[in-house]
Amino acid sequence: MTTNETGTHGAVLADRAPEKDSPVVELRNAGKAYGNIRALHGVSLTVHPGQVTCVLGDNGAGKSTLIKIISGLHQHTEGEFLVDGEPVRFSTPREALDKGIATVYQDLAVVPLMPVWRNFFLGSEMTKGPWPLRRLDIERMKKTADHELREMGIVLDDLEQPIGTLSGGQRQCVAIARAVYFGARVLILDEPTAALGVKQSGVVLKYVAAARDRGLGVIFITHNPHHAYMVGDHFSVLRLGTMELSAERSQITLEELTNHMAGGAELAALKHELSQVRGVDVEELPEEADLTAPVAVTKEAAS
Amino acid sequence: MHRHHRAAALAATVLTGALLATGCSSSSGGKKSEETANGASAGKATTPRMTVALVTHQAPGDTFWDTVRKGAEAAAAKDNIKLIYSADPNAGNQANLVQNAIDQKVDGIAVTLAKPDAMKSVLAKAEQAGIPVTGLNAGLSQWKSLGLLEYFGQDETVAGEAFGKKLNDIGAKHAVCVVQEQGNIALTQRCDGVKKTFSGKTDVLYVNGTDMPSVKSTITAKLSADKSIDEVVTLAAPIALTATQSVSDAGSKAKVATFDLNKDLIKAIQENSIQFAVDQQPYLQGYLAVDALWLYKNNGNYSGGGEQPVLTGPAFVDKSNVDKVAAFAAKGTR
Amino acid sequence: MTQHAEPAVTSPPAPGLKDTDGRSAERSMIVRLLARPDVGVFLGAVAVYVFFLIAAPPVRDASSMANILYQSSTLGIVTVPVALLMIGGEFDLSAGVGVITSALTASMTAYQLSMNVWVGVIAALIASLAIGFFNGWMVVKTGLPSFLVTLGSFLILQGVNLAVTKLVTGNVATDDISTMDGFDQAKKVFASSFDIGGVQVKITVFWWLLFAAIATWVLLRTKYGNWIFAVGGNRESARAVGVPVAFTKISLFMLVGVGAWFVGMHQLFSFNTVQSGEGVGIELIYISGAVIGGCLLTGGAGSAIGPVFGAFMFGMVQQGIVYAGWNPDWFKAFLGVMLLGAVLINLWVQRTATRR
Repeated sequence: MTTNETGTHGAVLADRAPEKDSPVVELRNAGKAYGNIRALHGVSLTVHPGQVTCVLGDNGAGKSTLIKIISGLHQHTEGEFLVDGEPVRFSTPREALDKGIATVYQDLAVVPLMPVWRNFFLGSEMTKGPWPLRRLDIERMKKTADHELREMGIVLDDLEQPIGTLSGGQRQCVAIARAVYFGARVLILDEPTAALGVKQSGVVLKYVAAARDRGLGVIFITHNPHHAYMVGDHFSVLRLGTMELSAERSQITLEELTNHMAGGAELAALKHELSQVRGVDVEELPEEADLTAPVAVTKEAAS
Repeated sequence: MHRHHRAAALAATVLTGALLATGCSSSSGGKKSEETANGASAGKATTPRMTVALVTHQAPGDTFWDTVRKGAEAAAAKDNIKLIYSADPNAGNQANLVQNAIDQKVDGIAVTLAKPDAMKSVLAKAEQAGIPVTGLNAGLSQWKSLGLLEYFGQDETVAGEAFGKKLNDIGAKHAVCVVQEQGNIALTQRCDGVKKTFSGKTDVLYVNGTDMPSVKSTITAKLSADKSIDEVVTLAAPIALTATQSVSDAGSKAKVATFDLNKDLIKAIQENSIQFAVDQQPYLQGYLAVDALWLYKNNGNYSGGGEQPVLTGPAFVDKSNVDKVAAFAAKGTR
Repeated sequence: MTQHAEPAVTSPPAPGLKDTDGRSAERSMIVRLLARPDVGVFLGAVAVYVFFLIAAPPVRDASSMANILYQSSTLGIVTVPVALLMIGGEFDLSAGVGVITSALTASMTAYQLSMNVWVGVIAALIASLAIGFFNGWMVVKTGLPSFLVTLGSFLILQGVNLAVTKLVTGNVATDDISTMDGFDQAKKVFASSFDIGGVQVKITVFWWLLFAAIATWVLLRTKYGNWIFAVGGNRESARAVGVPVAFTKISLFMLVGVGAWFVGMHQLFSFNTVQSGEGVGIELIYISGAVIGGCLLTGGAGSAIGPVFGAFMFGMVQQGIVYAGWNPDWFKAFLGVMLLGAVLINLWVQRTATRR
């Protein structure tokens, strides 16, 4: 007896070709309050298959709250959260996974001392044989892991090596490949490049693009506009729990994005203050007028 | 995985229930066939109620000390004494327990002096408080200098020497003395005593007394390493019983003899698997140490006149007198 | 500066162009073997064995080897599940007294109720599983270090062993159950000997090797084994990918209970009675056996076969010193050196394994 178990994530979605324009995940004016503290407010976001939606923001801007809502760790307290057009409210990450929403956390991804292939299948091991003798189908797991990693363009010498021996970027990539294999339709990447060097970041971005090209919707959380601009199709900037900018790639330049990230309107105010101080050269800083890229001003956000 | 686990647990529970329900009872041995007998108690004194503290250096779970305590309890019951028993193998803690007894204003204290120096200051406090103190079991050479009234115990060296002579009598040539607790002074004295009088060769073997399988295989190893050993001397009854298994495992012709007694050991003597045991009569030690405080308070007596210790051993138990002892040992009082 | 074009990064080149990433040269077989923690302890055990073969002539007898293996097996049967638990990232300090608790439970249940001894054996198994469940449940639910939780249960069991035995039997040791029904049968299972080529080998040796073989299979070839490595290696990651962390940890503690139960039964049926104060200090021998056997103190790495050699080294050194006729005062010092050596090897392994 051979069981083709891929765990509780559901079967591998070999065939995923939904129409490109219907969003998989959509937030409409969603928000989250912890007691009377509003961590997130009036956020609208859509994730389409085969597109990378970048969420940028400084520390404390509400990025992690946003991830927690989508990945099922927390529940939104206002607005709507739709998956495939249906309103949802996840109570555990498992429910999100079952809907094909997988999150790759920066440090939570792997067990360093375990071999690559065991990490790949951890929690969703393939087995064979009847119960008392049911055992891991090691051959098949290794072959599948190797195949899947190659599909993503990751080639490793030895799948038996502990995953801790891989570089940080490679580890992220294995985690991404894993999520893709286990039927993720939406991939949430939490600061995948934060702790990486330039070269490693490039490697990860390559696989983000690979995931996108395989038809996944990617939510790419970062505070690095350069990384975001390299792969992003849509950019949302969060500030103090609200959406400050929401723009298609065609509507915004890297420079504008950078300025928004660097502080946008606040920066202009700061420039004004600094100009009062002798010895500070403010000539090169952008003017306020330069920072007027299409800003998502919802009615609520304006109030 | 979950399901099978639960199923297994359920099966075990059901099985147990079934076993209990169908009365899977044993037809031999067991509690039912045990003869219940009450401890030695002959009447009760009418003297006023008094309180006595017995503070020993017992390590938890030692059969020997259990017998001491039973003796003390028997004396307390007879003399209308409220007995407070406490023990700690650590000398400092034992001294604290004595202090505790002083604070409770007891009428008398019976104490073991395993490490006499640690007890010196607290015993001086007892003397100041006017509380009479008796010694038992350990402290033969120091009880007098520490101001104790009297002392009940066995001179370990004397017992060891007597043991050695007995070995000479039965014609042993090469003995191994098994020490179950490395660094214990009393145990070392016993082995030294044996070595002193025994005319054959005496080896010392340390075993880990808290791990019986280890005791068994270590003695086996010793016996197979040195085939000339013809006598295993153990210093506690449970070790002796284990040693008999080692002897057969090693295919050795050695005999086993031991210090101290318990009821299983007496059976072994009756069955000839153990030659003899030297009993220091722990029951007697506990009994006398408490009873002496009663006598001192009510009649001013003290044994040994404050000069000589009262020796409770060595008393040999072998095939010739084992049956007499057996009845008492069955109750856990010998 | 305008970059309205398509995203700069495209997907990587078509796969299958190269077979390796070319980053690391193939490591030689020997280096790879040496990096395995159980190989280190295996070589250590062989060294100790050869050493005593030379130093202590009686060791050359087959019967001496049977005796050494017997001693090793009574440690090893508990060391194997303790090792699994350590790979799972937890400690159990209550295993040593747990052995005695189990033996006492069996003995007293059978004797006091005048039941067939098998009733006691099953009662003891339930008690041991319950202790394991309690330990695991406390660790998982409170998040306290297992060191503290099991230190607590170690002390509790020590007290309960004494107090209950005293309460029930009136003594601090249990009554002899050797004449009771089922005793001989149980003795065959737990404490008999086999004749192999004229040498009496204790049955515990077979059980020990069998349990180690099963544990190895479970560890390397089953889902559950994968989970053990994962919960010990990175509990949060394991939870994030859907490994049942609580189930895995609690069941590991219960497995230690099973090991303790087995050795408890062996002690009961080979010595007929149980002293309630025994077992203290043995828990550290189990743990050191697992550590010497290559299990990482911090969890996440190790094997079930390494601890077999770890326990063997303990048995070999303990008995070897006696066979050699040396002053046994040195035994503890020997153990200390072995332990330190093993920990150093572990450290080295972890560094090699995670070195880039």
